[in-house]
Amino acid sequence: MGFAWAIAPGLDRLYPDPSVRNERLLAHLETFNSNPYLATIGIGFALRLEQEVARGSAGADQRLSRLIKPVRSSLGALGDDLFWAAWRPMLGLIGAAAALVTGSPIAALCYWLAYNTFAQSVRWRGVRAGFASGAGIARVLQDPFWNRVSGITKTVGAFACGAVAGGALWALRGGGTEGISVFLIVTAFLWLAGWRRGSRGRWLSPSVAFLVVVILLSVVVRVSAGVLP
Amino acid sequence: MSLDQAALLAVFGGVVFLDQWPLLQSMLSRPLVVGAVVGLVLGRPTDGALWGAVFEAIYLGVLPIGVARYPDAGLATLAGSAVALSAPAGVPPPAGWAVAVALVTGAVGDHAGLVLRRWNGHLAVRVRERVTAGDLSAPGRAIAVSLLRGVGLGVVVSVAALTVGLGGLALVVSTPWSGPLPMTIVVLAAAAALVVNGTRLFVDGRWRLTAWGAGLVLVVAAFGLVG
Repeated sequence: MGFAWAIAPGLDRLYPDPSVRNERLLAHLETFNSNPYLATIGIGFALRLEQEVARGSAGADQRLSRLIKPVRSSLGALGDDLFWAAWRPMLGLIGAAAALVTGSPIAALCYWLAYNTFAQSVRWRGVRAGFASGAGIARVLQDPFWNRVSGITKTVGAFACGAVAGGALWALRGGGTEGISVFLIVTAFLWLAGWRRGSRGRWLSPSVAFLVVVILLSVVVRVSAGVLP
Repeated sequence: MSLDQAALLAVFGGVVFLDQWPLLQSMLSRPLVVGAVVGLVLGRPTDGALWGAVFEAIYLGVLPIGVARYPDAGLATLAGSAVALSAPAGVPPPAGWAVAVALVTGAVGDHAGLVLRRWNGHLAVRVRERVTAGDLSAPGRAIAVSLLRGVGLGVVVSVAALTVGLGGLALVVSTPWSGPLPMTIVVLAAAAALVVNGTRLFVDGRWRLTAWGAGLVLVVAAFGLVG
C-alpha cells in the first residue's frame, strides 16, 4: 500500500486517463517488503520504467514486472546490512557508552541527529538515484559504496566496543578488585548465556540474560551488604 | 508520577510504536532516545539518559532483519524507565522489576505489531477492491487508518504497561522482590552488556578483532597518559 501511495503522484502526471492510471496503480499494489531507507531507490526506478511505459516503449511493462522483485530483495539485503546491522548498532553503542559516562540526554540527541543525517539523506536522494538509473539499476546495487560504508561502520563499531571494554576496566581499577571482578563475571555470564546451541538458538535472549544478571547482583548486594562498589 | 506525566508518556508510547516500523523509522523509538524523553518528562533527565543507555545495551543486538520477530524495544524502554524512575528518590532503583516490566512490555509490543500487520493485510485486500472499482485515493485513506490504529495500539500497550508496572511497583518497592540495585552497579552491568552485544555484532573476523583490541589498548593508554 505504501509503495502504491508513494508512486501515485508520479502516476497522476504520467497517465492523465483515470482508467489507465487505475490499471497502473493496481500493478503496484503488491507487497514491497524492502529496507525503509533504500526503498526510495525502488520508487524512483519504478517511476522511470513507468515513464517508459507511458511513452509506449516496447517491453517496458514486462521489464518493470520482471525487475521489481529482484530490485526489492536486493535493496532489502543492502539496506538491512548497512542500516540495521551496521549504522544503527554502531551509533547505538557509542551513544549508550556516552550516556553511561556522562548521564546526559545530549548523548541521545546526538545519536538521533547522527543517525538521521545519513539515513534520511539516503532516503531523500534515493528517488532521484533510482529514477536516473532506470533499467540500469544493477549499477547502483553493485556499487562498492554500500559494502565499503557497511564494512567501515562495522570496523568502527568493533573499535568502539573495545574502547568501551578498556574504558570500563580503567574506570573500575580504582575501586579495588571487586569492581573489575564483577564486570568480568557479568561479561562472561552474558557471553555464555548468548551462546548459540545449534538450531535451538541461544541459551538465553540478551534481555532475559540481563534480567538474570540484575536479579543475581541484587541478591549478592543484599547478602554482601555494601561490599560491592 | 502525576496524571499529566502519565498521559504524556502514553501519547509518547503511540509515537514510539509508530516509529518502530509503521512510520518514518527516525529512531525516536530507540531505547537511548526513549529513556532520555521519559527522564525529561519525569523531571529526572540524568537518570532517564542512564536507563535509556541500559536498555540500548540490552537491545543492541536485536536486529529487524528479514522476517525476524523482535521485541518492541521502544515500548519496553518506556515502561521500564518509567518504573525505574518512579521509585522514591534516595533508594536504589527497582532494577529487577523495571527490567522484568520492560521484557514483558517488549513481548506485548511485538504482538501488538503482529496485530497491526494482520489488520494491514485485511486493509490491503479492501484497498485493491476499491482501486479496481476506480477509487484512486483508497491507498492514502487506508494508510491514514493504519497509522491511527498504530497510535491507538501504542497508547493502549503503554497505558497497560504503566498501570501494571507502577501498580506492581507500589506492592514490591520496599521488598527484595523489586530487585533493588545501586545505579553504579546497573551501569556496570550495562557496560558489560554493551561489550558483549557489541562484540557479537561487530567482531566477525581477524581484522575486526584487531580493531577491537586496538580500541581497548588505545583507550587504556590514553587514560594512562592523562592519569
